[in-house]
Amino acid sequence: MSIISQLTKSLPKNTVISGSENIRPFECDGLSVYKQEPLAVVLPSEVSQIKKVLEICRKHNTPVVTRGAGTGLSGGAMPLKDSVVLGLSKLTKVISINPEARSAVVQPGVRNLAISEAAEEYGLYYAPDPSSQIACTIGGNVAENAGGVHCLKYGLTVQNIESLKMLTIDGDEIVLSREDDGLGLLALMTGSEGLLGVITEVTVKLTPKPELAKLVMAGFDSVRDCADAVADIIKNGIIPAGLEMMDAFAIEAAEDFAKPGYPLDAKALLLCELDGSIDLVNNDVSEVNNLLSKATSIRVSQSEEERLLLWKGRKSAFPAVGRLSPDYYCMDGTIPKRHLGDVLEEINQLSRQYNLRVANVFHAGDGNLHPLILYDAGIPGELEKTEELGNKILKFCVEAGGSITGEHGVGVEKLDAMCYQYSEAELDVFHQIKAAFDPHSLLNPGKAVPTLHRCAELGKMHVHHGNLPHPELERF
Amino acid sequence: MSSISELQKKIRNATQLRITSSGDDFDDELLNMSSYSGVVEYFPEELVITLKAGTPIKEAKQVLAKNKQAFSFFVDDSDQSIGSIYSTSGAELSDSVLGIQIINGKGDLLNFGGQVMKNVAGYDVSRLLVGSLGKLAVITQISFKVLPEQVFNRLEKKQLKKKTESPIKNEIEKKLKSVFDPYGVFI
Repeated sequence: MSIISQLTKSLPKNTVISGSENIRPFECDGLSVYKQEPLAVVLPSEVSQIKKVLEICRKHNTPVVTRGAGTGLSGGAMPLKDSVVLGLSKLTKVISINPEARSAVVQPGVRNLAISEAAEEYGLYYAPDPSSQIACTIGGNVAENAGGVHCLKYGLTVQNIESLKMLTIDGDEIVLSREDDGLGLLALMTGSEGLLGVITEVTVKLTPKPELAKLVMAGFDSVRDCADAVADIIKNGIIPAGLEMMDAFAIEAAEDFAKPGYPLDAKALLLCELDGSIDLVNNDVSEVNNLLSKATSIRVSQSEEERLLLWKGRKSAFPAVGRLSPDYYCMDGTIPKRHLGDVLEEINQLSRQYNLRVANVFHAGDGNLHPLILYDAGIPGELEKTEELGNKILKFCVEAGGSITGEHGVGVEKLDAMCYQYSEAELDVFHQIKAAFDPHSLLNPGKAVPTLHRCAELGKMHVHHGNLPHPELERF
Repeated sequence: MSSISELQKKIRNATQLRITSSGDDFDDELLNMSSYSGVVEYFPEELVITLKAGTPIKEAKQVLAKNKQAFSFFVDDSDQSIGSIYSTSGAELSDSVLGIQIINGKGDLLNFGGQVMKNVAGYDVSRLLVGSLGKLAVITQISFKVLPEQVFNRLEKKQLKKKTESPIKNEIEKKLKSVFDPYGVFI
C-alpha cells in the first residue's frame, strides 16, 4: 500500500492532504525563494496521531519534515522531495497556566502571542517576541530557539522554557526538564531544527509584566557614535529591555511607511527601551539620557501610545524596506558589539561593489544584525548575486568572532555558510549527534548541518574566532 | 598541564583518564586542569568573559567585581574551578554559557558556540555538556554572559537538579558519550 493511502486509512478524515494543488501552500516556509512539494501533508490534532504518522513514515523509510506555522526564515520547514510534512498547527490547546510557578503548559501549535494573551489575566506574559509572534507557534520557536527584540534582558527561547515532551523517531516519548541531572538535553533540543525529535508539549516560563516601560529614541551623526552609546549604556550597568539600531536607509523607509516621527537627518537611530518598576525606569531613563552625549536628538516616550508608535517604525522596518524593492533578502549574522562599526563599513563597501542596496536594522544589544539586501528576482542572476553578497557578509561576521545566524536558524539557506563557522571535526560531531537520535536520518534530513562533502566541494575556508588559516598570506 | 598541545598529547596517550582540579601531573590516569587557568578575554561592554577551565571561581568573581559585574548563576566563593562547576551544574548555569572549547576523547580540539549572545548555528553543544561530569570531553575554555551587579542582585535563586530515571534518555546519553569519547578514555 502506498504511504499516502496508508496515512489516509490510519488517520481521521481531513488529516491527510495530497495532490499538487492542495499541498502547494506548504511548499515553502517564510523563505519563499526555496520551494519543494512534498508527497503529502499531514495535520494531526492529537499526539497519538503524530505517533501513527512517525510509525508509518518509519515503515516506508520516508523523511518527515515537522512544521509549525511556516513562518521560519531559513527554509527549516521547507518540504523535502518525497517527504511527509507533519504540520502541528492544529495542536493549539493551552493545557494549563500556573500563576504561582509562573509557567504555562501548551501544545506545540499554540501561537507565541496566544500564550501571552492567555496569561494576561494573571499579569504575566511569555517574554521572547520574534517579529512573527502573532502567527508563529511555540513548537517552531523551540525548534529554532527563536529570539526577538528583548533577548538581551529576557533571553532567547532556551532560557524561557521549563520542560518539553518530545517523540523520538521510534515514537518513544521523553520528557526533558531544566531540573534534570545529566546532560543538557533540553538545551540540545532547543534550536535543533526538527532533526532530533518531534516536540509534542512545551512548558514555558512566564514573566511578570513590568510596571512601566519607556522608550528613549536618539539620533546620531554616525553609526560609530551610535555603537559607542550602546557600549556606554551597558558598561554603566543598565540592561535595557530592548536596544535597537537602524541606519539612515532603514530610518527613511520606516518613517515613510509608519510615520513614527523618526529624525530623517540622522545617520543612525537608537531605540532603547527601559522597563521594570516605576522608580527603576525613571532612574534608568535619566541615566541613559546622560550617557547619550553624542546624540544629535533625544526623545523619550511620554505615554504608552507614543512608546508603541516609536516601536512601530522599527517593527515595520522589513515591510517598509520591502516596499522600495520587488524583493529583499534578510540576513541574520551576529557579531561581538565592539566590531559593529567595522562590520557596517564592510557591508556598505560590499553593497557598492555588488550594486545592491542594503538597509541595516540590528538588535544592537546582543550584536544581532539584520541587513536587508534589496534585489529584483525578475532580473536573471540577481538572486545569485544577492546570495553571494549575503555569504560574504556572513563570512565577515564569523571572521569578527560572531555567528552566521543569531535567531533564524540554518535550515537549507545557510548550509554553505556553516562551512565557514565550523571545522570538519566539529561538523562531524553534529552529524553524530543527529545519528544518536535518528540513526536512519528520517527527521528533516539534510537540513541545518552541511555534509562534509559539500564543504569540501565548495572549497570553503573555515575561519574560526577571527583566525584565518595561514594568516601570513595576503588575501584579496 | 598548561598548554593545549600538552593536554592533547596526554589524552591521545591515555587509556583511561579522570579529569580533576588537583593531583599529580605525572599520574597517567589523572588529568589535573588546575594549572590551565586564567582569563582569556573579558569585554565588560559586551557582558562576556572567557575563562580557562582551571580558573578558580573566586578569581573570576574578583575580575568581574572590578567592573561591577557578576556571573548570572549562584555559586559560593570557593577554590572550585570554573570547569568543575560547569561540569556539575544544570540549566541555571547553562543559561549563561555562550561557548566552549573542548578536547574530545580522540584528542581533537573543538569549538562550539562563541562569544555572542545569539548563536543558533549548529546544535547547542556548549549547553549540552553542562553537567557532563568530565565524562565526555575535557572542557578547556568557557565563555559566559555576565550581568551588572545591580541586575544580578535582583535575581531569585532557582531550583536544584533532580535525579531522573528514563531508560530512553539513558540510552541517548550513552550514545552521546560515544560521540565525544569513542574510545571511552574519560572515566
